[in-house]
Parts: sequence; structure tokens; C-alpha cells
Amino acid sequence: MLDFARKKGSATSRSKANDRLHTVLAHDRIGTSSGVMEQMKKEVIQVIRKHIDVDEPEVNLTSRGRQSVLDINIPLKGR
Amino acid sequence: MKEPAKNGQVIVITSGKGGVGKTTTVTNVSMGLAKLGCKVVAMDLDIGLKKLDLIMGLENRVIYDIVQVIEGECTLKQALVKDRRFPNLFMLPAAQTRNKDDITEDQIKKLCAELKKDFDFILIDCPAGIEQGFRNAIAAADGAVVVTNPEISAVRDADRIIGMLESAQFKDIKLVVNRIRPEMVRDGDMLSIDDLLNHLCIDLIGIVPEDDGVVISTNTGEPIILNQRSLAGRAFQNIARRFTKEEVPFLNLNRNDSFWDRIKNAFFSKQVG
Repeated sequence: MLDFARKKGSATSRSKANDRLHTVLAHDRIGTSSGVMEQMKKEVIQVIRKHIDVDEPEVNLTSRGRQSVLDINIPLKGR
Repeated sequence: MKEPAKNGQVIVITSGKGGVGKTTTVTNVSMGLAKLGCKVVAMDLDIGLKKLDLIMGLENRVIYDIVQVIEGECTLKQALVKDRRFPNLFMLPAAQTRNKDDITEDQIKKLCAELKKDFDFILIDCPAGIEQGFRNAIAAADGAVVVTNPEISAVRDADRIIGMLESAQFKDIKLVVNRIRPEMVRDGDMLSIDDLLNHLCIDLIGIVPEDDGVVISTNTGEPIILNQRSLAGRAFQNIARRFTKEEVPFLNLNRNDSFWDRIKNAFFSKQVG
């Protein structure tokens, strides 16, 4: 299904529409905005940095089926 | 002798966004079901902004409307407009000079309970939006069909409507994708059926390709399903067949569309969504 989009690079308007929808639906389903996500991301970093040294975490709101999922990926710094 | 009482299904055709093809879907699927021998009533619940009478080509036969039935000014039987092409197809018109708050969910439930005894299918044309009109339209429905276009704003609204239907405990929610243009999907410029299903996660019941014939049929009041050569007409007939639980394969949009494929397509309805 995505083969064709890949052939033309990721810049097709169809793939762009899919990316935008993915994000907007995840937010719509839980009633938040991307601004709230940015704020939460900052707070998550603060909480974790109180205890351990970490790099910038990736905080993404995504969908699994019709369920919105908060995906937090935190790379830990090794010694 | 009186016919034995039926136990018809009430199905609401909804979308959230306006202009995606709800009324066209109600019109053509109702007619498709009537063609298959079912006794059908198409009910317009877009009180204040009625369209179904026009799209079905029955505007000159309307005498009473649904609000008059509810308010007891006429009987249900008097208000039902009989289609001149199919004797088992009827239309219940909306009122044009009233508004959505003039009827209640309970009144619609009562009306539908009455209609279920006499009809196999009651298809409800739901107004756009998520307000009282929407709540009235879903109140009595056993199943829902969400119509969308392969376009992000329509998909976003469809998603919201699906969420609301799920909250209202709907188990049977089906998707119709209207106005798809396979060549644009292939060129990477339109959301595909798979893309829409990935986002919305509900079962598909119809794929209707973009078809200039729909504009013409709207002009003349002769629904596209009456045109045997139209791809959209065949797609709507296939949806009607799926309503009756018949398994009908969908159009495969991924194949290479050569000239001959298009010819074949125009002649074999099985390949059409």
C-alpha cells in the first residue's frame, strides 16, 4: 500500500495527509492539543531528571486502532 | 389478507461533515434495496434543510411531512410518499419550515417502531453536525453507516461521529467511502481505502468512485443507481446487496488500470465497489 508513496519519496500529499490525520485523530480522541503535549513533555523530563540523568525523551501521542496511546521513549545515559 | 408484521432494521446514514454524500447514499441504497425486493422507507431527518425529496426526484409528490405526523396533523400512511418507479419504496419527507428541536428522540423511536412492522429497511438521512438533529437520527437506529470522502476534514469528522456512535453503544458501524479517485490514489495524491480503514478502524461496506453522472442524476431527479452503465450506480447497488448480507467483492484499486480493464470494469459489476 505504501510502496508507491515510497517510490516517490515521502513527500506525496497522500503521505502528508496520513501523518497529519494520525496526529490530529490521536489528539481529538482524548481531547487534547499538541500544545498540551509540549508542556507535558517538559514536565516529564523534569520529573525524571530529579532522579536520573537522561537525554531528551521522545513523547508521542499515537493511535493503536481507535485507542490513543502515549508513547514515551527515554534514552538513559550510560557511564 | 393483511401482510404479517415484519421486523425491519433501522439504519442511520451519517457523516459529521456535510456534503460528503449522505443523501445520495440514502437515495441510492434505498432504491437498490427496493430493486432487490425489500420494502423500504427512506426517512429525511434533516428538519429545516431537507434534500431527500429532491435527490429522489419526489419533490412534487410531497403533501405532508414528518413533523405533521408527530404532531398528529396527519397519519403516517398519509405522509409516506410512494416512489413511482418501485412500488415497495417510500419516502418520509422532512419539514422545511421547522427545526431540529421540534422533534424528540422518543418521538422518533415511536415512529420507527411503527415503521418496523411494515418495512424491511428504514434508512435515516441524518443531518450534518453533532447536535440534537444527530441525536434524533441515531435514537432509533439498529445500525449506522458512516459516509466519508478521502479527504482529511471529512475523515476527522467521521472519526468523531464513530466515537459518538460507540459511546451510544452502537455495535454495527459500517463505512462508505464516497468520491474516491483511483488514479489520484495511485499518484500519491489521495488517501486510499486502506489509509481510511487504518485511521477509522471500522468495517467497510462500500466504495463509490467519483462519477460525473451523480451531478447529472441530481439535476434530473433520476438516481444514479437507475443508470446501468454508471460505476457509482453499481457501487451503490453493491452496498444494497451487502445490506442484505450478500457477500459482494470490493473493487480492487491496486491493479493496473489498462484501457481494457476499464472496459471490463464498466461491464462486470462484481469488480465494482
